Amino acid sequence: MRRTFTSSRSLVATFMMGMAVFGIATLGCGDSKSPAKSGTANSGTANSGTTGGGSTATAPPAKFTLAWSEYPSWSIFGVADEVGLIDGKAGAMGSIEKKYNIDIELLLASYDQCITLYGNSQADAVCITNIDILGAAGSRNSVAIMPTSTSAGADACITAGIKSIDELAGKPTRGLEKSVSQYCFERCLEKLGKNPADFPFSQMDPEQAAQAFQGKDEKIPSIMVWNPFVMQSVRSRNDAHVLFSSDLIPEEIIDMVVVGKDSLGKKSGSDFAKAVVETFYAMNQRMNDEKTRDATLVGIGARFAKLELEDMKTVVTQTRFYSDPKDAVRLFTEEKFQKETMPLVSKFCVKYGLTQAPVELSFGTGKGVMDFDTTFVKEYLEQPKK
Amino acid sequence: MIRREIPMWLFLALAIGGIVVLLVSYELLSARQTRINPKQTTIPSFAKLSEGLQKIFQPQGTEENPKPPMFWNDMRATLWRLMVGLGIGVSASIAVGVLMGAYRWIEAPLSPIVMFLSKIPPTAMMPIYFAVAGTDQRMFTSMVALGIFFSMAQSIYQAVRDNVSDESINKAYTLGASEMEVIYEVIWKQILPNVIDCVRMQIGPAMIFLIAAEMVVSDAGLGYQIRMQSRVLNMNIVFVYLVILGIIGLIAEFGLVRLRRWLCPWFEEGAR
Repeated sequence: MRRTFTSSRSLVATFMMGMAVFGIATLGCGDSKSPAKSGTANSGTANSGTTGGGSTATAPPAKFTLAWSEYPSWSIFGVADEVGLIDGKAGAMGSIEKKYNIDIELLLASYDQCITLYGNSQADAVCITNIDILGAAGSRNSVAIMPTSTSAGADACITAGIKSIDELAGKPTRGLEKSVSQYCFERCLEKLGKNPADFPFSQMDPEQAAQAFQGKDEKIPSIMVWNPFVMQSVRSRNDAHVLFSSDLIPEEIIDMVVVGKDSLGKKSGSDFAKAVVETFYAMNQRMNDEKTRDATLVGIGARFAKLELEDMKTVVTQTRFYSDPKDAVRLFTEEKFQKETMPLVSKFCVKYGLTQAPVELSFGTGKGVMDFDTTFVKEYLEQPKK
Repeated sequence: MIRREIPMWLFLALAIGGIVVLLVSYELLSARQTRINPKQTTIPSFAKLSEGLQKIFQPQGTEENPKPPMFWNDMRATLWRLMVGLGIGVSASIAVGVLMGAYRWIEAPLSPIVMFLSKIPPTAMMPIYFAVAGTDQRMFTSMVALGIFFSMAQSIYQAVRDNVSDESINKAYTLGASEMEVIYEVIWKQILPNVIDCVRMQIGPAMIFLIAAEMVVSDAGLGYQIRMQSRVLNMNIVFVYLVILGIIGLIAEFGLVRLRRWLCPWFEEGAR
């Protein structure tokens, strides 16, 4: 009996000690973070003595982080690191970083993790779609500085044994809920004149859904996924059939680079945005130049599901890049995007609880919770070209 | 001095103090984070957490198509999967473990296999479950059941070998017990407390497989909800769900300890 008493008590004691350690750790963590945080949050105060003079030559570079996941128009940043335009490691700088005296740190993570990193202020900027950003903007005021690409077939509903839309009614389609997939699924059905409520959509990780589909799982006759899974799934079985794809909703799904308003407001925040924009277009030039085209595509493919050159050539037709800055400005400023696409996206986000109320949108005014700003792309356009 | 007694009141005061320090430091951390970004959801304050708590009990769905509150929906899904999986896994491992401990000719072919397979982390085998067992209840059940089966069969088999003496078995034989009677009256009754402890130890791992699988393939369940809510940055709901997971663990732990004390009052804790 006595033995029992001591052992259970020492258990409680261990628990208590654990709790105390945890408490100290949280506090300590908070404290140790705070200088670092305020260092990044308002590097102005930390560096004002040095950068204040405006002499960028001697000032230590301000550090910014860009979270990216493997996707055709985002893997570009990984390749830019490879060719030396930017150096993704903290403390090292590539040629564009030197030009703006900015240290860009590239954080490679899964797409979902990128959203969490950005939303929880662990990254200054993120590669994200125009749908998911509305949810993240609920925790952090955001500015989209440029579109990188749009889905033109890269999101697709693939079926086996189901040849028409009407046959699909009542059968479950697997894909990621509250995401681009579900948005695309519903919008395409609407465009085809159907009622999305008749088409059940149930949760499954896109990679797992694609694998199960490729493994001819009979319970998974229909999946709604994005590339590279679209391409892999279509090829994997002879009876696979693309029922519909984001082709039906041109320029509704936009991949972008978004910077937190707080980060953009820091000293050198706009230099960071300019550096990111310049990197993106410099890489696009390499991709459009005959001499460097294939090498760049191979580089992107290596950072996108390990795809080979031929596959990458297909991928870039399904994910259309905004490789011309004028095209980017056109998209963000045109009426269709501002008055039709974004309100539709906003409605979707409210319907599925990504946001509780419609996010306040603005276009280049900087007033909204979510702003689509072409300033940095325009500045890039106005730069004297060599 | 090590292990010096402290008065009970001091012990309790320190216990409560620890929890208070934890909660206060959490709230301060949250307030600090809110000062940096007023819209932050990373470390929700207690007010935000109670909002999250209310939200999980609100009815879901639309008016024409109402759905139960997410909490009940998720609990039902997760607990059902856990219970069925545990039930099958525990009964199978008891049968195999006891037989392995009782008969050398069953032990010989099975023990190397069981020993080897019990060393593979079941989460690493997830892709195989997805491929073989599909994506519905059958997959979750087989994952939980097989996930705990090998290590549990291994420990039950060892309990039979180590804790049941030849002497007690021979005594039972001398008194005219049949083989079934020896297995039930002598072996089973002596290892019952070990079995209950084993189940207690396996609930943690079982929850790990289940939550991990639910995060990937499921449209309901605690794991599913934690993934979806963290994806849309509703950390207040995520935190509430984590607390719920902690409470489920505590209830299971205390419940099984109680059960063991009630069924096997003769069993000395810590005595091996």
